[in-house]
Amino acid sequence: MDNQLNHSQLITDNSQLTTHKMIQLKNIEKVYRTDTIETLALSSINLDIAKGEFLSIMGPSGCGKSTLLNIMGLLDAPSKGDIRISDQKTDHLSDKQLAQFRNKKLGFIFQSYHLINDLQVLDNVELPLLYRDTTAKERRQLATEALAKVGLSNRIKHFPTQLSGGQRQRVAIARAIVGRPEIILADEPTGNLDSAMGNEIMDILINLNRNEGTTIVMVTHDENMAHKTHRLVRLFDGSQVQ
Amino acid sequence: MIKHLFKLIWNKKKQNFLLITEMFISFLVIFAVFTSLVYYYRNYKKPMGFSYDNVWVINYQNAKKFQSTDSVTQYYATLTAMLKSMPQIKALSFASGNVPFTSSMNTTGLSYKGVSYSPVNYYQTGDGYRDAFSMNLLEGRWFNQQDVVSTYRPVVINASLKEQLFGNGSAVGQLISDNSNSSIKKIKIIGVVQDMKDKGDYLPSGMALYNRIDTGAMRWLGQLIIKVSPDADAAFESKLYKTVANYMKDASVEIQHFSKKRISTNKSTLVPITIFCIVAAFLIINVSLGIFGVLWYNINRRRAEIGLRRAVGATGNSVSAQLIAESLILATLSVIIGTFFAVQFPLLNVFNLQAGIYITAMLLAIVFIYLLVLLCSLYPGRQAAAIYPAVALHEE
Ligand SMILES: Nc1ncnc2c1ncn2[C@@H]1O[C@H](COP(=O)(O)OP(=O)(O)O)[C@@H](O)[C@H]1O
Ligand SMILES: [Mg+2]
Repeated sequence: MDNQLNHSQLITDNSQLTTHKMIQLKNIEKVYRTDTIETLALSSINLDIAKGEFLSIMGPSGCGKSTLLNIMGLLDAPSKGDIRISDQKTDHLSDKQLAQFRNKKLGFIFQSYHLINDLQVLDNVELPLLYRDTTAKERRQLATEALAKVGLSNRIKHFPTQLSGGQRQRVAIARAIVGRPEIILADEPTGNLDSAMGNEIMDILINLNRNEGTTIVMVTHDENMAHKTHRLVRLFDGSQVQ
Repeated sequence: MIKHLFKLIWNKKKQNFLLITEMFISFLVIFAVFTSLVYYYRNYKKPMGFSYDNVWVINYQNAKKFQSTDSVTQYYATLTAMLKSMPQIKALSFASGNVPFTSSMNTTGLSYKGVSYSPVNYYQTGDGYRDAFSMNLLEGRWFNQQDVVSTYRPVVINASLKEQLFGNGSAVGQLISDNSNSSIKKIKIIGVVQDMKDKGDYLPSGMALYNRIDTGAMRWLGQLIIKVSPDADAAFESKLYKTVANYMKDASVEIQHFSKKRISTNKSTLVPITIFCIVAAFLIINVSLGIFGVLWYNINRRRAEIGLRRAVGATGNSVSAQLIAESLILATLSVIIGTFFAVQFPLLNVFNLQAGIYITAMLLAIVFIYLLVLLCSLYPGRQAAAIYPAVALHEE
């Protein structure tokens, strides 16, 4: 597939969608305080992410990319600033409401997969559904579908340790999409993979974005991967430089 | 969710095996402790059935050798008369060696309508025995001078034996037979007395049969029980001692108070169980530290998993509830295995205790194990709830 063509085509799609804002970050600042030191991990981040957009974030190690993703994922609260997701303010939500919000709206993918090694692939994928009202049958069906989408239908009874890195990350993607979230947050999803496996993962994400309209925010170190997305944001020392 | 937890536990069976074994052993130890405690407590709650205050026993050994039964009768009749003339002595009776609060036992077996009953504690008592111990008569009467052995030997039985033999029916006038002990095996019941906890406050009386001492048996006895008035002091005791020692020239004579014997008997019952409880307590402390440690370790090993669960929709509280539920499931498995072993005790009637004692002990042990495991998992569970998902998900 021609990457350049693909890229411009996506940008066209993106321009049609800018009116619907999925994630809005306003003046986000994050300070980590320990007994002895204060780290300014993020300062005055302003970022709007459109519904259906595929955004990548790049920057040197320690510049605050994960912190930013955690804040978007409501796993961490900013020290200052506002986050809106689907036009909904999130600062007043209780622990329980935040958990439900993450469960329904968000899917996470991590560099180190974070699969539960004591559970089979299918059970790993079902995990988010355990925290909603679903029957065992529904869970099984949705998880099987999600695994089919990532091409792992023949591995559902395996344990994560019996899979390759690329396969593990595909399981993690299946887990992220099983609950049909509107947003996927991926923190260096190809960071532990060779370029062939990385491209596989990238293709899955691109298809997901294109076919299901899922908004994706991805942190990456790989310029090639970043250029396959609609937009690239660069961070340096906690600030947005592009 | 429960099914999910079972899968997790099953897939980690190797790690969980040790924990289940620990809990299982604790369950059995706790079950043993509670069985003893319930047994002793149940006995303790029962009435004593007699009074031991101001009751003494005079032990005598190597009394005179006699030519004939008549001279034996004469010899002890004189002694009895001498003692009865003392105003402080309210009642008196010769008795076999198994007086209250001694380890001495004498048992026999009985049969009634083709069914055997044993062991039955067998006591040789005089006419004054009941008065000396203020025993409660429930039915019929105690012995008196008119009781002569003819075709039937008159006996008094206790309530436990009566219940075994006749249930709620009446015992007086019933005929039973003695499987040993006496040449006259046919027995006629003339009275029923309340159970007498003569092995101490914490042990049961068991079934008991009281036989009237016949003159031929006098030469074998060595105990004389006396009930004294409350004003009987040390001076009286030494006067009594001198009187008896002078009369029984060659015998070694010793006076003991039942109130003191009771204390030492109770002590000898309680000391072993106390030691057992202390040993068990140390074991339980060890095990609970073990359980606590394993849970604590697991939570630290599972930080990423906990972070992930939070990310996909678990609240801090549900993570903590999950970890506690996991340990309670392990506790349940241990309790099920433990109960399987524990029910063998009543089923096989291992120690001849009532099933109710085992069942009570089992229920207590189950509650205890659950509380212990809950207590050991509460704190690690709370720690798990406090893990920051953002941090846990980004550490390697
Ligand atoms: N929990 C934390 N406590 C203190 N400092 C932190 C914490 N998490 C991240 N930081 C600091 O914040 C900065 C940004 O970290 P991070 O967002 O992980 O960077 P990146 O993902 O871009 O490599 C770093 O300097 C890091 O040391
Ligand atoms: Mg990072």
